[in-house]
Amino acid sequence: MTNTLERPAASRPPATERVWTRWATAVSPRSIGAVYILVVIVVVFSIALPSTYPTLATVKQVANGYSITALAALALVVPLATRTFDLSFAYVMTLSGVTAAHFVVHGMSAFAAMLLGMLVALVIGVVNGLVVVVMRIDSFIGTLATGSLVQAFIIFFTNAQIISGVELAGGFSQLAQVQIVGLTGPAVYAVVVALVLWFVLEHTVVGRRIYAVGFNPDAARLATIAVDRIRFGGLLVSAGVAGFAGLCLASSISAGSPTAGTAYLLPAFAAVFVGATQLKRGRFNAWGTLIAVVMLGAGTVGLSLSAAPNYAADMFTGVVLIGALAATGLQRRRIRRG
Amino acid sequence: MTVPSVLDVRRLTKTFPGTTALDAVDLEVRDGEIHALVGQNGSGKSTLIKVLAGYHTPDPGSEIRLAGEPLTHSNLAGHDRLRFVHQDLGLVLELSTVDNLALRSEFLTSAGRVRWRAQVRRTHQLLADFAVDLDVHAPLSAATPVQRTVVAIAAALAGWDGGAGLLVLDEPTAVLPPGEAAHLLEIVRGVRARGTSILYVSHRLDEVLTLADRVTVLRGGRVVATRPTAGLGPETLAALMAGADVDVGYRAALPPVDRNPLALTARNVRGRYLDGVSLEVRQGEVVGVAGLPGSGAAELVPALAGAVAGADGEISVGTVGAVPVARANRLNLPIVPSDRLRDAVLPGMSLAENLTISILGRLRRGPGLAHSRERSTVARWMADVRVKAASERVGIDTLSGGNQQKVMLARCLARDPDVLLLADPTSGVDPAARQAIYELVAERARAGLAVVVTSADVGDLLALCTRVLVLGNGRVVRELNGDEITEHTLIHAMEETGQR
Repeated sequence: MTNTLERPAASRPPATERVWTRWATAVSPRSIGAVYILVVIVVVFSIALPSTYPTLATVKQVANGYSITALAALALVVPLATRTFDLSFAYVMTLSGVTAAHFVVHGMSAFAAMLLGMLVALVIGVVNGLVVVVMRIDSFIGTLATGSLVQAFIIFFTNAQIISGVELAGGFSQLAQVQIVGLTGPAVYAVVVALVLWFVLEHTVVGRRIYAVGFNPDAARLATIAVDRIRFGGLLVSAGVAGFAGLCLASSISAGSPTAGTAYLLPAFAAVFVGATQLKRGRFNAWGTLIAVVMLGAGTVGLSLSAAPNYAADMFTGVVLIGALAATGLQRRRIRRG
Repeated sequence: MTVPSVLDVRRLTKTFPGTTALDAVDLEVRDGEIHALVGQNGSGKSTLIKVLAGYHTPDPGSEIRLAGEPLTHSNLAGHDRLRFVHQDLGLVLELSTVDNLALRSEFLTSAGRVRWRAQVRRTHQLLADFAVDLDVHAPLSAATPVQRTVVAIAAALAGWDGGAGLLVLDEPTAVLPPGEAAHLLEIVRGVRARGTSILYVSHRLDEVLTLADRVTVLRGGRVVATRPTAGLGPETLAALMAGADVDVGYRAALPPVDRNPLALTARNVRGRYLDGVSLEVRQGEVVGVAGLPGSGAAELVPALAGAVAGADGEISVGTVGAVPVARANRLNLPIVPSDRLRDAVLPGMSLAENLTISILGRLRRGPGLAHSRERSTVARWMADVRVKAASERVGIDTLSGGNQQKVMLARCLARDPDVLLLADPTSGVDPAARQAIYELVAERARAGLAVVVTSADVGDLLALCTRVLVLGNGRVVRELNGDEITEHTLIHAMEETGQR
C-alpha cells in the first residue's frame, strides 16, 4: 500500500485547477473587500446623485484630489511593514514644502530648492532612525516627539506665516500642476511610487527581509538579517516619500504653509491600515494602499457632492479606519490561533 | 469515598495548533496532601497550571472538580478554593511588603483613605506564621529571594483562615540557593499543617521526595505515573521523567571522529549562568550539553550563536580566526532555537518564505528575487527534510509543530554550515517527527557536519550525541563519551551537580 501522506508535495492539484483557485482567492471579498465597498459607494452615490456623481469629473477629482494622500500613505508602507510607526511624516511633509518654498521665494531655482526640501526631509529621517533604532525609543512615541520638534522648528522659522510669492507660480508649481494624460502630476507619481514599492516588497530580497523583520524581529536576527539597518532604512524611505509628497503639496497650492501636512496624518494612516487588509492580508502593501485611498476618496467626494455637512468626511474616514483595524485584528488573532 | 478530593482533574486535554500540550491528564490532590507535579520542560506542567489558573481553556470533555464541585472556565476566576504562587511571584519589587500584601489581598480603608497603621498591623499578622525577619517598609528588592517567596505565599493565603483549599506553588525554589530552599520547605510544611493542601511543581527531585506525599510525573503531556513518594528513589523518579518512551533507544551510531579536523572552538564562554566554558567540536561530531536548570546548559548553545546579550568569550569556526561570541551571528553558525514560536517562526509568512529567509542573498537575480529558483530550492528542501504540507505557499502557522521544526532545520541547513547549533530540537514535536529529526541530523553528521545540541529532554542527547558535556554552576563538570552515555549515567551526572 502506498502511503500518499509520506510523499511530500505529491498531492498537488492539476495546474488549471490551481490557476482557478488562485483567481478565486484573488477576487474574493476577503482579499479585496475595499473594492467591493468602493463598488457599493459608487452605486449608492450614482443613484443618489445621477447627474453629478457618475462623471469623468468625479473620477478626476478623486484621482487628483487624493493623489497627495496617496503619496503620504505610501510613505508609511515600508516602516509599518517593519512594525515601526512614523508619526512624524506629516510634519516632514510640511517641512519639505516650507523649505522649498522659502528658497524659491529667495531666488533659488525651483529644482535646487526642491533638492534642499528633500534633503531636510531625509535629515529628519536620519533623526527618526537615531531615536527609534539607535536609542531604542518606542517608534510611536519617538516619532511623535520628532514630529513635534519639526513642527516647532517650522513655526519658529516661518513665524507661523504662509510663505507665498509670485516666484512660486513659476517652475515650482509645475511639479504638481503639470498635466499627464488628463491627470495631475502627483496622481502619476503616486502610481510610480506604488509600482516601485510593490516591486521592492514583492520581488526583491530586501522586501522579503522587511516583512520578516515586521513579523518577528528576533527570528529575523537569528536568520542573519540586519534588523536595525532595515528599520532605519524604513524610516528613511518614509521621510523621503513624505518629503516628496510635501513638495507636491506646496507646489499644488503654490505656497509654503506651516501646517499643510498635518491634515494628512489621519487619512494616510487610515489608508495604509485599510490597505493592509487588501490583496496581501496582514501585510502593508502598496496596491492595497492605493485601493484604500481611492475608496476613501470616492466616499468623501460623494459626501461633499451630496452637500453632507463638512464633518461627514472625517466621520467616514474614522468609521472606515476602525472597521479595517477590527478586520485586521480578527485576522491576526485567527492566524495566531491557527 | 468520604471526603472529596481538593482537586480532581479528569481527562484534561489541551491542544494548540500543531501540538497536544496535555493529553487526557488525570490528577488528584487529596485533602491535606502535599502533591508534587514533576516533568521536564515541555512536559505540560506549565500548561496544566495555566489551565487551572484560567489562562488557557481546556478542550471539551475535560473535567476539573474542586472539592467535588465542577469547575468550569466561566466560574474559575470567582472561585476561592484555588490559589497560586507563580514562578515570578507576581510581586512589585519597587514597593514594600506592606504595599505588596495590600495590593494582593486588600487595602484597609476608611472613607477612601488607606489606614496605613492597620495595614502594617495586618502585614505583621499575615507574616507571623512564617517566622521571617523582614523590614515590612523596605522595598522588596532589598529582601532575600526566600523572603520574597514568603511574602508571595502570605499574599496568596491572605484571608484564607480556615485554610480549606489548594495552594499551587509553581517552582518556588527555582531561584533559591540550597540553604534557603530548605527553609522554604519548612514554611511549606507549616502551610500544610494549617490545613491547606498543596500542589507543588518542581524540577528538584530531592525536594519533591522529602516534601511531598505523592508525586505525579508528566511526560510529553501525559501522566506517566502517580505514586506515593515513600520508597521512591531519585533515580526512579528521574527515569520516569526522562523516559525513553519516544524511541525505544534510537541511537545515531556515528563513526569515530578523533582524526577529523576541528570544526568549532569556543574559549572561556561566560554569561549569566556560564562561568568560563571551553569546548572543541570536530567535524562529524555531535556534542551534547546537559545540565539541570540554572547550570548554564540551556544558555551555552544560544551564547555560541551570539544570541545571548552580555555573554563573552571567543569562538572560531573551522580555520577562521577567533571572534568574540557577541559577534558570532556574523559567522555561518545557524541555530535552531529552543523557543520556536518566539525566536524562529515568522508568523504570517508562508512555508517557503520561512525556509529561504536565511539564504535570500543567494536567490538574487539582478535587482530582484529569483522566484523560480526559490521555488525549486524550497521543493528540494521540503523533500530533503520530509516536510508534509499541501504546498510551499501555505502559511507556516498551519503546519504541525513537527513540520514547523523541520522547516526551521531546513532554514539552518540551507546555509551549508559546517557547524549546526540545536537547542531543544524536539520540543513540541510529535514522536514520528522527532525520529525524523534525529535521522536528519545524524545523516548530516555522517557527511561531516559538526553539531552542538542542548536539550531538556535527555532522550535527544541519548539519541544523537557521541559526547556529552555535563554542566554544573556554569562549568563543565563531567564529560561522557560514546558508550558511557546512558540514561542512567547522564541523569546521575546531572543530579550530582545539583547536590553540590
